[in-house]
Amino acid sequence: MAALPDSNRSPTLEEGLRFLGTDRVELKWVEDLAGGRSMIDSAPDSAVLVTEALPLRANLSVLENMAIVPQYRHDTPYEAAADQAWQLLSRLEVTAMAFKRDPDLTSEERFQAKFLRAIMAAPPIIVIDRPGQLLPDTHYPPFLGRCLATLENHFEQCWIVDYLWNEPLYAPR
Amino acid sequence: MIQFQAINETLTRRGAATLSWLRGWGSLIWFAYSALVHALSPATYNSATRSVIQKQIYFTAWQILPGYTLFAALLSFVIIQIVVSTARDFGLSDFALETVIRVLVLEILPLVTALFVALRSSAAINTEVALMNVHNEIKALEDLGVDAMQLEFIPRVIGGTLSVLALSTVSGLMALILAYVVVYGAHPWNFPAYTLVVSKIFDLGILLGLGFKVVLFGMAVTVIPISEGLRAPSKLFFVPIAVLRGMVRLFFVLMLIEVASLALKYI
Repeated sequence: MAALPDSNRSPTLEEGLRFLGTDRVELKWVEDLAGGRSMIDSAPDSAVLVTEALPLRANLSVLENMAIVPQYRHDTPYEAAADQAWQLLSRLEVTAMAFKRDPDLTSEERFQAKFLRAIMAAPPIIVIDRPGQLLPDTHYPPFLGRCLATLENHFEQCWIVDYLWNEPLYAPR
Repeated sequence: MIQFQAINETLTRRGAATLSWLRGWGSLIWFAYSALVHALSPATYNSATRSVIQKQIYFTAWQILPGYTLFAALLSFVIIQIVVSTARDFGLSDFALETVIRVLVLEILPLVTALFVALRSSAAINTEVALMNVHNEIKALEDLGVDAMQLEFIPRVIGGTLSVLALSTVSGLMALILAYVVVYGAHPWNFPAYTLVVSKIFDLGILLGLGFKVVLFGMAVTVIPISEGLRAPSKLFFVPIAVLRGMVRLFFVLMLIEVASLALKYI
Protein backbone atom coordinates (compact mmCIF):
# COMPACT_ATOMS: atom_id res chain seq x y z
CA MET A 1 0.00 0.00 0.00
CA ALA A 2 1.47 3.31 -1.03
CA ALA A 3 1.18 6.32 1.23
CA LEU A 4 -1.78 8.59 0.73
CA PRO A 5 -1.26 11.14 -2.08
CA ASP A 6 -1.38 13.96 0.44
CA SER A 7 -0.17 12.72 3.82
CA ASN A 8 -1.65 15.75 5.60
CA ARG A 9 -5.24 15.09 4.59
CA SER A 10 -7.45 12.49 6.29
CA PRO A 11 -8.15 9.37 4.24
CA THR A 12 -11.66 8.69 3.05
CA LEU A 13 -13.57 5.66 4.35
CA GLU A 14 -12.88 3.80 1.09
CA GLU A 15 -9.16 4.57 1.25
CA GLY A 16 -9.18 3.37 4.85
CA LEU A 17 -10.94 0.15 4.00
CA ARG A 18 -8.46 -0.53 1.19
CA PHE A 19 -5.65 -0.13 3.75
CA LEU A 20 -6.87 -3.22 5.65
CA GLY A 21 -5.51 -6.58 4.53
CA THR A 22 -2.28 -5.11 3.14
CA ASP A 23 1.21 -6.13 4.28
CA ARG A 24 1.11 -3.28 6.83
CA VAL A 25 -2.28 -4.23 8.27
CA GLU A 26 -2.77 -7.99 8.27
CA LEU A 27 -6.18 -9.49 8.91
CA LYS A 28 -5.91 -12.67 10.99
CA TRP A 29 -9.09 -14.72 10.93
CA VAL A 30 -9.85 -17.04 13.82
CA GLU A 31 -12.72 -19.45 14.33
CA ASP A 32 -13.11 -19.20 18.10
CA LEU A 33 -11.72 -17.67 21.28
CA ALA A 34 -9.04 -20.36 21.64
CA GLY A 35 -7.89 -19.65 18.09
CA GLY A 36 -7.76 -15.95 18.91
CA ARG A 37 -5.65 -16.60 21.97
CA SER A 38 -3.18 -18.81 20.12
CA MET A 39 -2.97 -16.20 17.33
CA ILE A 40 -2.15 -13.49 19.89
CA ASP A 41 0.37 -15.81 21.57
CA SER A 42 2.06 -16.29 18.20
CA ALA A 43 2.86 -12.55 18.03
CA PRO A 44 6.33 -11.56 19.26
CA ASP A 45 6.65 -10.70 22.96
CA SER A 46 7.42 -7.11 22.02
CA ALA A 47 4.03 -6.73 20.29
CA VAL A 48 1.54 -4.46 22.04
CA LEU A 49 -2.06 -5.52 22.41
CA VAL A 50 -5.09 -3.29 21.89
CA THR A 51 -7.90 -5.19 23.55
CA GLU A 52 -10.97 -4.79 25.69
CA ALA A 53 -9.17 -6.69 28.47
CA LEU A 54 -6.33 -4.14 28.85
CA PRO A 55 -7.86 -0.81 29.88
CA LEU A 56 -6.47 2.69 30.15
CA ARG A 57 -5.26 3.84 33.58
CA ALA A 58 -8.51 5.07 35.11
CA ASN A 59 -7.06 7.96 37.10
CA LEU A 60 -5.15 9.44 34.15
CA SER A 61 -6.45 11.45 31.21
CA VAL A 62 -5.96 10.15 27.66
CA LEU A 63 -3.02 12.52 27.18
CA GLU A 64 -1.36 11.31 30.42
CA ASN A 65 -2.04 7.66 29.52
CA MET A 66 -0.13 8.21 26.29
CA ALA A 67 2.63 10.39 27.76
CA ILE A 68 3.41 7.96 30.57
CA VAL A 69 4.94 5.49 28.08
CA PRO A 70 7.90 7.63 26.85
CA GLN A 71 8.14 9.22 30.30
CA TYR A 72 8.73 5.81 31.86
CA ARG A 73 10.61 4.03 29.08
CA HIS A 74 12.87 6.84 27.86
CA ASP A 75 12.79 9.25 30.83
CA THR A 76 11.27 11.85 28.49
CA PRO A 77 10.21 14.99 30.40
CA TYR A 78 6.41 15.31 30.73
CA GLU A 79 6.18 18.36 28.45
CA ALA A 80 7.98 16.59 25.59
CA ALA A 81 6.03 13.36 26.08
CA ALA A 82 2.72 15.25 26.21
CA ASP A 83 3.71 17.16 23.07
CA GLN A 84 4.42 13.87 21.29
CA ALA A 85 1.01 12.54 22.43
CA TRP A 86 -0.74 15.76 21.38
CA GLN A 87 0.69 15.50 17.85
CA LEU A 88 -0.79 12.00 17.48
CA LEU A 89 -4.15 13.17 18.83
CA SER A 90 -4.05 16.09 16.37
CA ARG A 91 -3.20 13.77 13.48
CA LEU A 92 -6.31 11.73 14.30
CA GLU A 93 -8.29 14.95 14.92
CA VAL A 94 -9.33 13.81 18.39
CA THR A 95 -7.71 16.45 20.61
CA ALA A 96 -11.12 17.00 22.24
CA MET A 97 -10.64 13.76 24.19
CA ALA A 98 -7.12 14.63 25.41
CA PHE A 99 -8.19 15.54 28.93
CA LYS A 100 -11.00 13.03 29.31
CA ARG A 101 -10.66 9.96 31.52
CA ASP A 102 -11.71 6.44 30.60
CA PRO A 103 -15.31 6.49 31.91
CA ASP A 104 -16.05 9.69 29.95
CA LEU A 105 -14.94 8.24 26.60
CA THR A 106 -17.16 6.76 23.91
CA SER A 107 -16.13 3.30 22.70
CA GLU A 108 -14.66 4.85 19.54
CA GLU A 109 -12.63 7.34 21.58
CA ARG A 110 -11.53 4.58 23.96
CA PHE A 111 -10.30 2.48 21.03
CA GLN A 112 -8.44 5.46 19.55
CA ALA A 113 -6.87 6.21 22.96
CA LYS A 114 -5.70 2.62 23.36
CA PHE A 115 -4.35 2.49 19.82
CA LEU A 116 -2.48 5.78 20.23
CA ARG A 117 -1.07 4.58 23.56
CA ALA A 118 0.17 1.45 21.77
CA ILE A 119 1.80 3.65 19.09
CA MET A 120 3.63 5.58 21.84
CA ALA A 121 5.33 2.31 22.84
CA ALA A 122 6.63 1.97 19.23
CA PRO A 123 6.35 -1.84 19.08
CA PRO A 124 7.17 -3.83 15.91
CA ILE A 125 3.58 -5.08 15.83
CA ILE A 126 0.35 -3.70 17.27
CA VAL A 127 -2.28 -6.42 17.69
CA ILE A 128 -5.92 -5.31 17.67
CA ASP A 129 -7.77 -8.10 19.40
CA ARG A 130 -11.39 -8.68 18.30
CA PRO A 131 -12.28 -5.09 17.29
CA GLY A 132 -15.98 -5.93 17.53
CA GLN A 133 -15.57 -6.02 21.32
CA LEU A 134 -13.82 -2.66 21.35
CA LEU A 135 -16.29 -0.99 18.97
CA PRO A 136 -19.66 -2.62 19.65
CA ASP A 137 -21.80 0.16 18.15
CA THR A 138 -19.69 0.95 15.10
CA HIS A 139 -19.38 -0.55 11.62
CA TYR A 140 -15.79 -0.98 12.57
CA PRO A 141 -13.83 -2.07 9.46
CA PRO A 142 -14.05 1.36 7.73
CA PHE A 143 -13.48 3.10 11.07
CA LEU A 144 -10.39 0.96 11.76
CA GLY A 145 -9.12 1.42 8.23
CA ARG A 146 -9.47 5.18 8.40
CA CYS A 147 -7.71 5.38 11.80
CA LEU A 148 -4.87 3.14 10.64
CA ALA A 149 -4.46 4.91 7.30
CA THR A 150 -4.36 8.30 9.06
CA LEU A 151 -1.60 7.03 11.37
CA GLU A 152 0.21 4.91 8.78
CA ASN A 153 3.54 6.69 9.32
CA HIS A 154 3.45 6.11 13.05
CA PHE A 155 3.46 2.30 13.33
CA GLU A 156 5.42 -0.55 11.79
CA GLN A 157 2.85 -3.28 11.38
CA CYS A 158 -0.61 -4.04 12.69
CA TRP A 159 -2.53 -7.30 13.02
CA ILE A 160 -6.29 -7.31 13.30
CA VAL A 161 -7.43 -10.54 14.93
CA ASP A 162 -11.13 -11.07 14.21
CA TYR A 163 -13.61 -13.89 13.96
CA LEU A 164 -14.05 -15.53 10.59
CA TRP A 165 -17.79 -14.87 10.64
CA ASN A 166 -17.08 -11.10 10.66
CA GLU A 167 -15.19 -11.29 7.34
CA PRO A 168 -18.17 -10.00 5.29
CA LEU A 169 -18.10 -6.79 7.33
CA TYR A 170 -14.75 -5.93 5.76
CA ALA A 171 -16.08 -5.98 2.21
CA PRO A 172 -16.56 -2.57 0.57
CA ARG A 173 -20.21 -1.45 0.65
CA MET B 1 -17.14 -40.93 62.96
CA ILE B 2 -19.25 -37.82 62.42
CA GLN B 3 -17.44 -36.14 65.32
CA PHE B 4 -14.04 -36.88 63.75
CA GLN B 5 -15.26 -35.46 60.45
CA ALA B 6 -16.43 -32.27 62.18
CA ILE B 7 -13.08 -31.92 63.99
CA ASN B 8 -11.24 -32.54 60.73
CA GLU B 9 -13.27 -29.88 58.92
CA THR B 10 -12.77 -27.35 61.72
CA LEU B 11 -9.01 -27.99 61.79
CA THR B 12 -8.80 -27.73 58.00
CA ARG B 13 -10.68 -24.43 58.05
CA ARG B 14 -8.53 -23.04 60.87
CA GLY B 15 -5.37 -24.25 59.14
CA ALA B 16 -6.35 -22.61 55.85
CA ALA B 17 -7.19 -19.36 57.66
CA THR B 18 -3.85 -19.42 59.52
CA LEU B 19 -1.94 -20.13 56.30
CA SER B 20 -3.75 -17.27 54.53
CA TRP B 21 -2.93 -14.96 57.47
CA LEU B 22 0.73 -16.00 57.36
CA ARG B 23 0.84 -15.60 53.58
CA GLY B 24 -0.55 -12.07 54.06
CA TRP B 25 2.29 -11.16 56.42
CA GLY B 26 4.80 -12.92 54.15
CA SER B 27 3.73 -10.96 51.07
CA LEU B 28 3.66 -7.76 53.13
CA ILE B 29 7.24 -8.26 54.35
CA TRP B 30 8.37 -9.20 50.83
CA PHE B 31 6.70 -6.10 49.37
CA ALA B 32 8.24 -3.85 52.05
CA TYR B 33 11.71 -5.30 51.29
CA SER B 34 11.17 -4.90 47.56
CA ALA B 35 9.92 -1.32 48.02
CA LEU B 36 13.00 -0.46 50.07
CA VAL B 37 15.37 -1.94 47.48
CA HIS B 38 13.59 -0.12 44.62
CA ALA B 39 13.49 3.15 46.58
CA LEU B 40 17.26 3.02 47.07
CA SER B 41 17.95 2.22 43.41
CA PRO B 42 18.64 5.25 41.15
CA ALA B 43 17.08 3.30 38.23
CA THR B 44 13.66 3.76 39.86
CA TYR B 45 13.69 7.50 39.32
CA ASN B 46 12.55 8.60 35.86
CA SER B 47 10.23 11.31 34.58
CA ALA B 48 7.11 9.16 35.15
CA THR B 49 7.96 7.98 38.68
CA ARG B 50 9.02 11.47 39.76
CA SER B 51 5.67 12.75 38.56
CA VAL B 52 3.79 10.10 40.62
CA ILE B 53 5.91 10.95 43.71
CA GLN B 54 5.07 14.65 43.30
CA LYS B 55 1.35 13.89 42.97
CA GLN B 56 1.46 11.61 46.04
CA ILE B 57 3.15 14.29 48.14
CA TYR B 58 0.68 16.89 46.85
CA PHE B 59 -2.39 14.81 47.75
CA THR B 60 -1.04 13.34 50.99
CA ALA B 61 0.77 16.30 52.52
CA TRP B 62 0.43 19.60 50.68
CA GLN B 63 -3.35 19.52 50.17
CA ILE B 64 -4.04 18.86 53.87
CA LEU B 65 -1.21 20.95 55.32
CA PRO B 66 -3.26 24.03 56.45
CA GLY B 67 -6.11 21.99 57.95
CA TYR B 68 -3.83 19.45 59.58
CA THR B 69 -1.51 22.13 61.02
CA LEU B 70 -4.54 23.88 62.54
CA PHE B 71 -5.81 20.61 64.01
CA ALA B 72 -2.34 19.70 65.36
CA ALA B 73 -2.04 23.18 66.92
CA LEU B 74 -5.43 22.83 68.62
CA LEU B 75 -4.68 19.32 69.91
CA SER B 76 -1.22 20.39 71.09
CA PHE B 77 -2.61 23.49 72.83
CA VAL B 78 -5.23 21.46 74.74
CA ILE B 79 -2.73 18.77 75.81
CA ILE B 80 -0.10 21.34 76.81
CA GLN B 81 -2.69 23.20 78.93
CA ILE B 82 -3.79 19.96 80.64
CA VAL B 83 -0.22 18.83 81.39
CA VAL B 84 0.97 22.26 82.55
CA SER B 85 -2.02 22.89 84.86
CA THR B 86 -1.89 19.33 86.30
CA ALA B 87 1.85 19.65 86.90
CA ARG B 88 1.25 23.00 88.63
CA ASP B 89 -1.43 21.42 90.87
CA PHE B 90 0.97 18.72 91.98
CA GLY B 91 3.88 21.12 92.40
CA LEU B 92 5.79 19.63 89.47
CA SER B 93 5.92 22.70 87.24
CA ASP B 94 9.66 22.22 86.65
CA PHE B 95 8.93 19.00 84.76
CA ALA B 96 5.94 20.29 82.79
CA LEU B 97 7.84 21.44 79.68
CA GLU B 98 9.88 18.23 79.40
CA THR B 99 6.79 16.07 79.90
CA VAL B 100 4.84 18.02 77.28
CA ILE B 101 7.59 17.74 74.68
CA ARG B 102 8.17 14.05 75.34
CA VAL B 103 4.47 13.18 75.20
CA LEU B 104 3.51 15.39 72.27
CA VAL B 105 6.48 15.65 69.94
CA LEU B 106 7.95 12.18 70.48
CA GLU B 107 4.78 10.12 70.82
CA ILE B 108 1.32 11.58 70.18
CA LEU B 109 1.88 13.79 67.12
CA PRO B 110 3.77 11.25 64.95
CA LEU B 111 1.14 8.62 65.77
CA VAL B 112 -1.79 11.00 65.11
CA THR B 113 -0.15 12.06 61.82
CA ALA B 114 0.21 8.44 60.72
CA LEU B 115 -3.40 7.69 61.70
CA PHE B 116 -4.62 10.81 59.87
CA VAL B 117 -2.74 9.88 56.69
CA ALA B 118 -3.94 6.29 57.07
CA LEU B 119 -7.58 7.36 57.22
CA ARG B 120 -7.25 9.86 54.39
CA SER B 121 -4.76 8.35 51.93
CA SER B 122 -4.17 4.69 52.83
CA ALA B 123 -7.83 3.76 52.39
CA ALA B 124 -7.78 5.48 48.98
CA ILE B 125 -4.52 3.77 47.97
CA ASN B 126 -5.83 0.36 49.08
CA THR B 127 -9.03 0.81 47.04
CA GLU B 128 -7.20 2.12 43.99
CA VAL B 129 -4.68 -0.73 43.92
CA ALA B 130 -7.40 -3.35 44.43
CA LEU B 131 -9.42 -1.81 41.57
CA MET B 132 -6.32 -1.64 39.35
CA ASN B 133 -5.85 -5.34 40.03
CA VAL B 134 -9.49 -6.17 39.30
CA HIS B 135 -9.62 -4.10 36.09
CA ASN B 136 -6.37 -5.53 34.71
CA GLU B 137 -4.70 -2.11 34.63
CA ILE B 138 -1.45 -3.56 36.01
CA LYS B 139 -1.30 -6.07 33.15
CA ALA B 140 -2.13 -3.30 30.65
CA LEU B 141 0.87 -1.30 31.85
CA GLU B 142 3.14 -4.35 31.72
CA ASP B 143 2.02 -5.00 28.13
CA LEU B 144 3.36 -1.53 27.26
CA GLY B 145 6.70 -2.30 28.91
CA VAL B 146 5.88 -0.28 32.02
CA ASP B 147 6.62 -1.96 35.36
CA ALA B 148 3.61 -1.18 37.58
CA MET B 149 5.69 -1.81 40.70
CA GLN B 150 8.16 0.88 39.68
CA LEU B 151 5.62 3.32 38.21
CA GLU B 152 2.61 3.03 40.49
CA PHE B 153 3.59 1.46 43.81
CA ILE B 154 7.13 2.50 44.75
CA PRO B 155 6.45 6.23 44.11
CA ARG B 156 3.43 5.97 46.42
CA VAL B 157 5.61 4.45 49.16
CA ILE B 158 8.26 7.16 48.71
CA GLY B 159 5.69 9.99 48.48
CA GLY B 160 3.68 8.67 51.42
CA THR B 161 6.76 8.25 53.63
CA LEU B 162 8.01 11.75 52.82
CA SER B 163 4.52 13.13 53.50
CA VAL B 164 4.28 11.54 56.97
CA LEU B 165 7.81 12.77 57.70
CA ALA B 166 6.93 16.32 56.59
CA LEU B 167 3.58 16.49 58.43
CA SER B 168 5.14 15.08 61.63
CA THR B 169 7.92 17.66 61.43
CA VAL B 170 5.51 20.56 60.90
CA SER B 171 3.17 19.46 63.71
CA GLY B 172 6.15 18.80 66.02
CA LEU B 173 7.58 22.27 65.39
CA MET B 174 4.14 23.78 65.97
CA ALA B 175 3.91 21.92 69.31
CA LEU B 176 7.40 23.14 70.34
CA ILE B 177 6.40 26.76 69.65
CA LEU B 178 3.08 26.41 71.50
CA ALA B 179 4.77 24.70 74.46
CA TYR B 180 7.12 27.69 74.82
CA VAL B 181 4.26 30.20 74.58
CA VAL B 182 2.05 28.37 77.11
CA VAL B 183 4.82 27.67 79.64
CA TYR B 184 6.83 30.91 79.41
CA GLY B 185 4.46 33.37 77.73
CA ALA B 186 4.81 35.21 74.40
CA HIS B 187 8.18 36.87 75.09
CA PRO B 188 11.74 35.79 74.27
CA TRP B 189 13.38 36.18 77.72
CA ASN B 190 13.22 32.49 78.69
CA PHE B 191 14.44 31.21 75.36
CA PRO B 192 17.89 30.06 76.70
CA ALA B 193 16.21 28.00 79.46
CA TYR B 194 13.82 26.56 76.90
CA THR B 195 16.59 25.55 74.49
CA LEU B 196 18.40 23.87 77.39
CA VAL B 197 15.39 21.62 78.05
CA VAL B 198 14.89 20.90 74.33
CA SER B 199 18.54 20.01 73.79
CA LYS B 200 18.42 17.72 76.85
CA ILE B 201 15.48 15.80 75.36
CA PHE B 202 16.58 15.65 71.74
CA ASP B 203 19.94 13.93 71.99
CA LEU B 204 21.25 12.09 68.94
CA GLY B 205 19.78 8.72 69.96
CA ILE B 206 16.29 10.16 70.50
CA LEU B 207 16.41 12.12 67.22
CA LEU B 208 17.50 9.06 65.25
CA GLY B 209 14.87 6.93 66.99
CA LEU B 210 12.15 9.49 66.23
CA GLY B 211 13.21 9.71 62.58
CA PHE B 212 13.28 5.92 62.26
CA LYS B 213 9.85 5.57 63.87
CA VAL B 214 8.30 8.20 61.58
CA VAL B 215 9.86 6.55 58.50
CA LEU B 216 8.38 3.21 59.65
CA PHE B 217 4.99 4.90 60.10
CA GLY B 218 5.27 6.40 56.63
CA MET B 219 6.20 3.08 55.06
CA ALA B 220 3.40 1.28 56.92
CA VAL B 221 0.67 3.67 55.72
CA THR B 222 1.59 2.97 52.09
CA VAL B 223 3.14 -0.52 51.99
CA ILE B 224 0.26 -2.26 53.84
CA PRO B 225 -2.59 -0.86 51.69
CA ILE B 226 -0.70 -1.56 48.45
CA SER B 227 0.21 -5.09 49.54
CA GLU B 228 -3.40 -5.84 50.59
CA GLY B 229 -4.74 -4.32 47.36
CA LEU B 230 -2.45 -6.53 45.30
CA ARG B 231 -3.39 -9.63 47.28
CA ALA B 232 -7.12 -9.18 46.65
CA PRO B 233 -8.60 -11.69 44.21
CA SER B 234 -9.61 -10.17 40.86
CA LYS B 235 -13.29 -9.91 41.74
CA LEU B 236 -15.03 -6.59 42.32
CA PHE B 237 -16.83 -7.74 45.48
CA PHE B 238 -13.46 -8.47 47.15
CA VAL B 239 -12.43 -4.79 47.01
CA PRO B 240 -14.23 -3.71 50.25
CA ILE B 241 -12.83 -6.81 52.00
CA ALA B 242 -9.31 -5.95 50.83
CA VAL B 243 -9.71 -2.38 52.15
CA LEU B 244 -11.07 -3.63 55.47
CA ARG B 245 -8.20 -6.11 55.88
CA GLY B 246 -5.65 -3.49 54.91
CA MET B 247 -6.96 -0.92 57.37
CA VAL B 248 -7.12 -3.40 60.29
CA ARG B 249 -3.60 -4.68 59.55
CA LEU B 250 -2.37 -1.09 59.26
CA PHE B 251 -3.89 -0.13 62.62
CA PHE B 252 -2.18 -3.05 64.36
CA VAL B 253 1.17 -2.35 62.71
CA LEU B 254 1.05 1.35 63.67
CA MET B 255 0.24 0.41 67.28
CA LEU B 256 2.96 -2.22 67.30
CA ILE B 257 5.56 0.33 66.10
CA GLU B 258 4.42 2.80 68.77
CA VAL B 259 4.48 0.21 71.58
CA ALA B 260 7.92 -1.02 70.47
CA SER B 261 9.20 2.56 70.41
CA LEU B 262 7.84 3.23 73.92
CA ALA B 263 9.30 -0.01 75.24
CA LEU B 264 12.73 0.76 73.77
CA LYS B 265 12.74 4.26 75.24
CA TYR B 266 11.24 3.79 78.67
CA ILE B 267 11.55 0.13 79.74
